[in-house]
Amino acid sequence: MNAKGNGRQIGVYICHCGTNIAGTVDVKDVALEAGKIKDVVVARDYKYMCSNPGQDLIKNDIKEKNLDAIVVAACSPKMHEPTYRKVLQESGLNPFLFEMANIREQCSWVHRDKEKATEKAIDLVKMAIVKVRQNEALEKIKAEVVQRILVIGGGIAGIQASLDLSDQGYEVVLVEKEQSIGGRMSQLNKTFPTLDCSACILTPKMVEVGQRENIILYSYAEVEEVSGYVGNFEVKIRKKARYVDEIMCNGCGLCEEKCPTKVISEYEEGMGKRKAIYRLFPQAVPNIPVIDADNCLYLTEGKCGVCKKICTADAIDYEQKDEIITEKVGAVIIATGYDTYDAILKEEYGYGIYNNVITGLQLERLIHPAGPTKGELKRPSDQGKIKRIAFVQCVGSRDERANKYCSRVCCMYAIKNAILIKERYPDIEIYIFYIDIRAFGKGYEEFYKRAQEEFGIKFIRGRVAEILEDPDTKNLIIRADDTLLNVIVEAEVDLAVLSVAIIPRKDSENLQKLFGLVTSPDGFLMEAHAKLRPVDTQVDGIFLAGCVQGPKDIPDTVAQAKAAASSALGLISKKTLELEPIVAVVEESLCRGCGDCADTCEFGAIELQRLNARIVAKVNKVLCKGCGACSVACCNGAIVVKNFRDTQTFEMIATALESQMTV
Amino acid sequence: MKYAFFLGCIIPNRYPAIEIITKRILIDFGVDLLEMHGASCCPAPGVFGSLDLKTWLSLAARNISIAEELGVDIMTMCNGCYGSLKDANHLLKTNKELKEEINEVLADVDKEFKGSIEVMHQVEIFSDVIGIENIKNAIVKNLNLKVAAHYGCHFLKPSEIKMHGTAERPRMLDNLIEATGASSIQYKDKMMCCGFGGGVRTREIEVALDYTREKIINMKKAGAECMVNQCASCHLEFDRGQIEIKNTFGEEFRLPVLYYTQLLGLALGYKVKELGFQFHNIPVKLERMVE
Repeated sequence: MNAKGNGRQIGVYICHCGTNIAGTVDVKDVALEAGKIKDVVVARDYKYMCSNPGQDLIKNDIKEKNLDAIVVAACSPKMHEPTYRKVLQESGLNPFLFEMANIREQCSWVHRDKEKATEKAIDLVKMAIVKVRQNEALEKIKAEVVQRILVIGGGIAGIQASLDLSDQGYEVVLVEKEQSIGGRMSQLNKTFPTLDCSACILTPKMVEVGQRENIILYSYAEVEEVSGYVGNFEVKIRKKARYVDEIMCNGCGLCEEKCPTKVISEYEEGMGKRKAIYRLFPQAVPNIPVIDADNCLYLTEGKCGVCKKICTADAIDYEQKDEIITEKVGAVIIATGYDTYDAILKEEYGYGIYNNVITGLQLERLIHPAGPTKGELKRPSDQGKIKRIAFVQCVGSRDERANKYCSRVCCMYAIKNAILIKERYPDIEIYIFYIDIRAFGKGYEEFYKRAQEEFGIKFIRGRVAEILEDPDTKNLIIRADDTLLNVIVEAEVDLAVLSVAIIPRKDSENLQKLFGLVTSPDGFLMEAHAKLRPVDTQVDGIFLAGCVQGPKDIPDTVAQAKAAASSALGLISKKTLELEPIVAVVEESLCRGCGDCADTCEFGAIELQRLNARIVAKVNKVLCKGCGACSVACCNGAIVVKNFRDTQTFEMIATALESQMTV
Repeated sequence: MKYAFFLGCIIPNRYPAIEIITKRILIDFGVDLLEMHGASCCPAPGVFGSLDLKTWLSLAARNISIAEELGVDIMTMCNGCYGSLKDANHLLKTNKELKEEINEVLADVDKEFKGSIEVMHQVEIFSDVIGIENIKNAIVKNLNLKVAAHYGCHFLKPSEIKMHGTAERPRMLDNLIEATGASSIQYKDKMMCCGFGGGVRTREIEVALDYTREKIINMKKAGAECMVNQCASCHLEFDRGQIEIKNTFGEEFRLPVLYYTQLLGLALGYKVKELGFQFHNIPVKLERMVE
């Protein structure tokens, strides 16, 4: 037993992490210095502490040397803290009598000077040692789990995740912003590289979602508020007034047929029209129309009312109001998809000025059998015959002036649409102007080759500089630099299709704030780990699927949806959940009930309550994230975070400064 | 309204009549132009800036500091001067270290760049300060002309500094031309360089003239009766250039070349002699222009 502290018997372990740490830090020296500190019974270094032999080393020492607290100096605690806590637990020690000193991410990886890096590593280890001396044994907090799940977004990602969860017998609440599920995939004609029709593979899944008893579908609805914590979220959903009674409506479509008001259709990407009462497409789920309140003659001017007059089911309800629904769920999957880049921003391509410049998504609608032209490809300016088409790749992607990232689907969708056009109109000449063709998926490269060899589609390697319009013929002149032939080319075409980038949805920022998530520099919601936790987020219980996390094609989206469903299941399949016990506690005798801590808390975890004749703060330990903001705000030092007490922190600071003084 | 009048090199030396008519028209509209005593060359943005950024910045900053002492914004007639002074002003306003470094140089000549003023082009004054409506109201002669507008590169780019909202489809000069009753026509490659810029004219005159020639062909093809520019270099390139094109390529276009205030002067009722057409290399003898 030592004289100082509470007489802990501490073991210190320095990891080499191969050469990751040992290449920059003199690990032997660190172990040697650590061994000199009070209470340290043993200090060792080892090549890979996280390996089984490394873990056994700690276990044996705990047994033989009677250790009661452990410090491991290695990587970030995000990486291996759970590993070592388990080692303590298996050796009969409380897992919170443990500290990690991060000498990899915060030392060896960011420094080059070995001598100074070693000094810093020693400091970090010393600080961990003084902290662990005062750590108390803590027990994990148990919380009940609501065994149902919320899926936001009813595109292919949300549909797939909902079906998988429903298959496992869990109840799913699916919220879709539009009036029907189906998302972007429902807009597409056929899919690459197999050319199966998008609707044929999507609609059966949509119908299933509509029929499953354990999927509660809120269409034309948006999540407005979220509270609670992992396993126990409470969400408020705004179900927008559709002015059609969902129970009464039988989906006959008569109202849509008779409605006199025609409006440019968003679903058709502006290429066609819809009525003021409308469904997105005939296979909509639910098969219930919505009245567009901004354009309906009755709702704007009190005239018309035809739909109400002819509805045999008496389903039209002009008085309907928005409804707020509250649902409790244990986990959330966000699958809200993407928007496409606004091509008007690339002024040099004349989109929005020249009628014959369209986007890839507009082309999908133009060649879709259920689209505005019933799949017939006509020149937008004069409905005339098309002889030559140019696809312009990377519009808004791989562009320093727009988005730096690759949108991952544009090469393939351009090739796919080029092939579909060639199949139907073999005489049309097609040029694809590209920077690089990225045909990375299964069967994609073969598909690309077919486009060249079987269909004679011409690929020109060079970014398009600008598009000019011949004012008389409305033909377009595509000017580009052919980097393979080293010449400037000018191609005259009837139609130019801009392969626009996938960008984050405009409202994904709201979701980010609602759930406290993080976005990556590209603006998409960020996963917890790029490789190892691709569908998790930094917030426990919130998962991502599909393009909300970054551009991806349908196979990758479905895979991610399945992964998100499986990860969410891992959470909600348990009845109770163990939470970190490193939370704030109130020393009631010091608390003056001012409420500064409650005002500071971002998680709503602190409430004031009556204690005999006084008011004191009380922490909801399930909601508390242990951030420590309350502790900083408290002027009495009455609220502290367990194992991050002031005495511990001050001693760590003193230790760090001690070595600085000697330099 | 007061501005420090930055003359530049080409206009006072080669087309002094443009300086005079610009000044007279602005006075008509109540704009006061102050002389910038001791102002030097801007200096030319492409060549100078590319070779020695700090020398270019120091000279530009010195010019700006003269206007700062007068306490008014600068007005230029030339895109080159506009480009140099506006870019330098932006760089020095946004980069503190660079500003300190340049101010050390300026201290030798008892000058200091403070970053207290803006740099404006003459067309911006007409468009944004005087306003199209006021110009229309002042017009005494409606010009029934088809005009090819040429903006010039340094007025528009880099777009994040020039901030006209667009670098590809600007309307400012077109609107100003149309305020005189003339119609500003669309023609192929309207945003193409005149050929002068980046020292190309000095080093490879045939390349420069090839640009000029292509632009003139496109303008004439679209039915232009004259071209209007807003830059001393572009003006020189199109005017003098047509003589050189004749000598080099044996082609003659005889497309009249007008600086914007010359066109505006016509519509405001100034006499042809006052506009200085007699000093041009290509005669400006449009039937409808001559009284």
